[in-house]
Amino acid sequence: MPDAPSGTGTRDLRFLDPSVIARLGTMELKARTVVEGFISGLHRSPYKGFSVEFAEYRQYLPGDDLTALDWKVFARTDRHYIKKFEEESNLECHVLLDVSGSMSYRGTSGMSKLEYASVLAGSLAFLMHRQRDACGLIAFDEAIALRLAASARHGQLHALLVALERLQPGRRSDVGRPLQLLAEALVRRGMVVLISDLLDEPEPIITGLKHLRFRGSDVVVFQIRHPDELTFPFQGAARFTDLESADTVVADPVGVRDQYLQELARLHSRYEQELRGIGVDYVPLDTSKPLDFALMAYLAARSRRK
Amino acid sequence: MSFLYPAFLIGAVAIAVPIVLHFLKREEAPSVPFSAVRLLRRSQVDRAPRRRLRDMLLLAARITALLLLAAAFARPYVQGAAPSPLHLIAIDRSYSMGGEARFSRARDLAREAIDAAPAGARVAVVAFDERVETIAEPGTAGAARASLARVTPGYGTTQYRAVLDAIRELAGSAPGRLVVVTDLQQSGWDAENRPVMPGEWTVAVKDIGPVPSNVAVMAVASSADRLVATLRNAGQAPRQGRVRAIVGGREVIGTPYALAGFETRDFPLPWSTAAAAVTVSIDDPGGLVPDNERYVVLGAGRIPKALVLASGDRPGLYVSRALQTSAGEEGAIEAEVVAGARVSTMTADELSGYAVIALLSTRGLDHKGREMLAAQVREGAGLLVTASPDVEIDVLQAMADWQPRLEIAPQPDQALTLAATDPRHPIFRPFGALAATLGQVRFERSWRVAPDGWSVIARFSNGSAALVERTLGRGRVVLLASDLERRWNDLPLHPGFVPLALETIRYASGGRAPTREYLAGHAPDRQAQAPGLYGAAGRLIAVNVDAKEGVSPRMPAEAFVKLVQQQSPSPPPGTNAVARAQQTEARQSYWRYGLLVMIAALVAESFVGRW
Repeated sequence: MPDAPSGTGTRDLRFLDPSVIARLGTMELKARTVVEGFISGLHRSPYKGFSVEFAEYRQYLPGDDLTALDWKVFARTDRHYIKKFEEESNLECHVLLDVSGSMSYRGTSGMSKLEYASVLAGSLAFLMHRQRDACGLIAFDEAIALRLAASARHGQLHALLVALERLQPGRRSDVGRPLQLLAEALVRRGMVVLISDLLDEPEPIITGLKHLRFRGSDVVVFQIRHPDELTFPFQGAARFTDLESADTVVADPVGVRDQYLQELARLHSRYEQELRGIGVDYVPLDTSKPLDFALMAYLAARSRRK
Repeated sequence: MSFLYPAFLIGAVAIAVPIVLHFLKREEAPSVPFSAVRLLRRSQVDRAPRRRLRDMLLLAARITALLLLAAAFARPYVQGAAPSPLHLIAIDRSYSMGGEARFSRARDLAREAIDAAPAGARVAVVAFDERVETIAEPGTAGAARASLARVTPGYGTTQYRAVLDAIRELAGSAPGRLVVVTDLQQSGWDAENRPVMPGEWTVAVKDIGPVPSNVAVMAVASSADRLVATLRNAGQAPRQGRVRAIVGGREVIGTPYALAGFETRDFPLPWSTAAAAVTVSIDDPGGLVPDNERYVVLGAGRIPKALVLASGDRPGLYVSRALQTSAGEEGAIEAEVVAGARVSTMTADELSGYAVIALLSTRGLDHKGREMLAAQVREGAGLLVTASPDVEIDVLQAMADWQPRLEIAPQPDQALTLAATDPRHPIFRPFGALAATLGQVRFERSWRVAPDGWSVIARFSNGSAALVERTLGRGRVVLLASDLERRWNDLPLHPGFVPLALETIRYASGGRAPTREYLAGHAPDRQAQAPGLYGAAGRLIAVNVDAKEGVSPRMPAEAFVKLVQQQSPSPPPGTNAVARAQQTEARQSYWRYGLLVMIAALVAESFVGRW
């Protein structure tokens, strides 16, 4: 997994800040801002491992995709040229987005986990679209809530971003089930991006991911966590209500914090260990942190596939 | 455990508040939606016991605090075993109980009363006349019996009130029975000052019988040429004998007496002397001994003396000469002129020999002397204060606690005359029509005395007070706003001076002579308690019994009991129980400890709350 781009400018990082992203209007604008800012940072950084810009022009040959014609060059030179992208490939990427109830947790302010995950999914889609990769979306809770087949068509990005914008939190999560379904449905190797808080039984999730890896897909898992889940900052006895099951637990945070954090660390440690063992990129994310780290992780995984 | 005001315990229902809040608060724990409750649930198991313990401790502390508060208001007390009843034996030891046979019978009756004390009762013995002496503190019957040997008859008079008043002091709140061993002299009851016996007490009387046929010397009066002895026969049978005057152990005169039953008669003893201590004695075989003799101090010692404090070239000349003119007359006053410094060297007893003090000068009068003079006036002596250059106003103001404050200021020099505001005043009454001659006196200098707290007897012609009077303690103070030494006026040169000075000093003295006669037990000298003649502090005093004790009629025992019960009506039921409870509670004061524990509980609650 690549390191974080240390050379990204402050100005651009500001546009990757989730609190800034949250205030933007449409999902498309959010995704564009994230990706543009991310790419802008890449250009100014000494980190040259990735590039999604075009490498050269070549003469149009019959059979080439007309959408790749550079009309501006045609207008200036009256000749047909095709943009040749450095990372261009025919990668098929599936984004699996967890929309279960637990993903709606927002805390006292900022973005909810679902919003953060949606922006991440949109940004990935935007990035994939720029690279001419086919991108699909599966939103799920305990069942498949939305499915967009992977496609590199021109309208795919827009459809995907609109779908992301309209997503609503669902009910209980069952991450293992869509993984199984997708693994069975995949007809060609591709890339699978799972975006979830993984607050589910680990065993079915790990089994599903193993299945995908067995089918030859590259898998990146983004675990979305809210800062409250990481630090458990609550004060005073409270009745904690589960967002999915509505189960309640009355507890004094001061007294239960240590045990909770131990449980969380144990869960994280298990995911990290098990997923690394099967070649899955496991990327824990914090909704208070910029999204560039997630994009960098995706590009790293994609570069390994090439 | 009992409560003085149990109604306050209703306040204990307030514990329902923390209990309800305790459970409501548990229900009202804020609901926090959270995404990782699944992880939380696993760790809650360890938390629950501690939380429950803390909650229970908090609830217990709050309930404890409220209960203690309610209990403190209810004033708890521990009702211990009720105090055992007291069997109080009161032995009359007035002189009418005298005579070995009579008092031996009194001891026997007291012993019988002790033996009759109920089992478990405490027994106490007191002896009484005007005073009560505890012979045996509340305790065992054996100790009480043993104490009887220490009781002897005295020279006092019976006062039943004294023993009834002593019951509470000895018994506290305990019930009991009073057994009075007495001869039932009716004079032992003070009609105007009735005693009250505690309601849960009963009374019984052990009568030792009537006083034997007794003749008493009730009084001795003296005149220039005779003594007059007043005798009374307290018995029904006629009595006769001899009454005699004894001086220095030698009979100087005597005369036979004969008295019918219950007769009182004067017997003159024609005899005169300049100064002598006389014992008047009678024959009274079989009667009470102490009232067979009466001691009298006769002679010059009975003439009131005035202490004149003066200074200057001719100290107190005019005043002392004016008083000398009264010598040999009725109401004569002797004058003794001394400097102010002499007062502080006198003893209080010496000073008490002067009926009046004429303060013509405060020179040399130190703090001690001023206090002694003021104390003497408060005890009944008179005080004449005159304005003069030798009387310092500050010293005068500081001499006594004048209420209101003595306000004096010098008047501007001007010739004033004096006029009595009321010619009927005792000072001016002897002047009669001649009082107007005082208006010829010219007062060149004088004081202006604020009359607040004073009565004005005479005024100057400018309206300011010239002669004022007031009381100080039991004494009388007369203040003349000009002097008597012819320095501020020409009063001594006028014919009205001598009567004015004499009557003013006589009035200030209140016409009293320093007492030389005391009842037994009341003499200032502790050594002079039995009847007799004593030389105390350079003067002679006579101590006699109160002869009424020996001639008083008796009252039936039933009447005695009835009189006591009339004076102590039964209290409403439970009154004494309530009083006892109040006393017990006040003594224990457990409510204070309750409040302290309550505060401790609240402090603990605050600490547990932060746990």
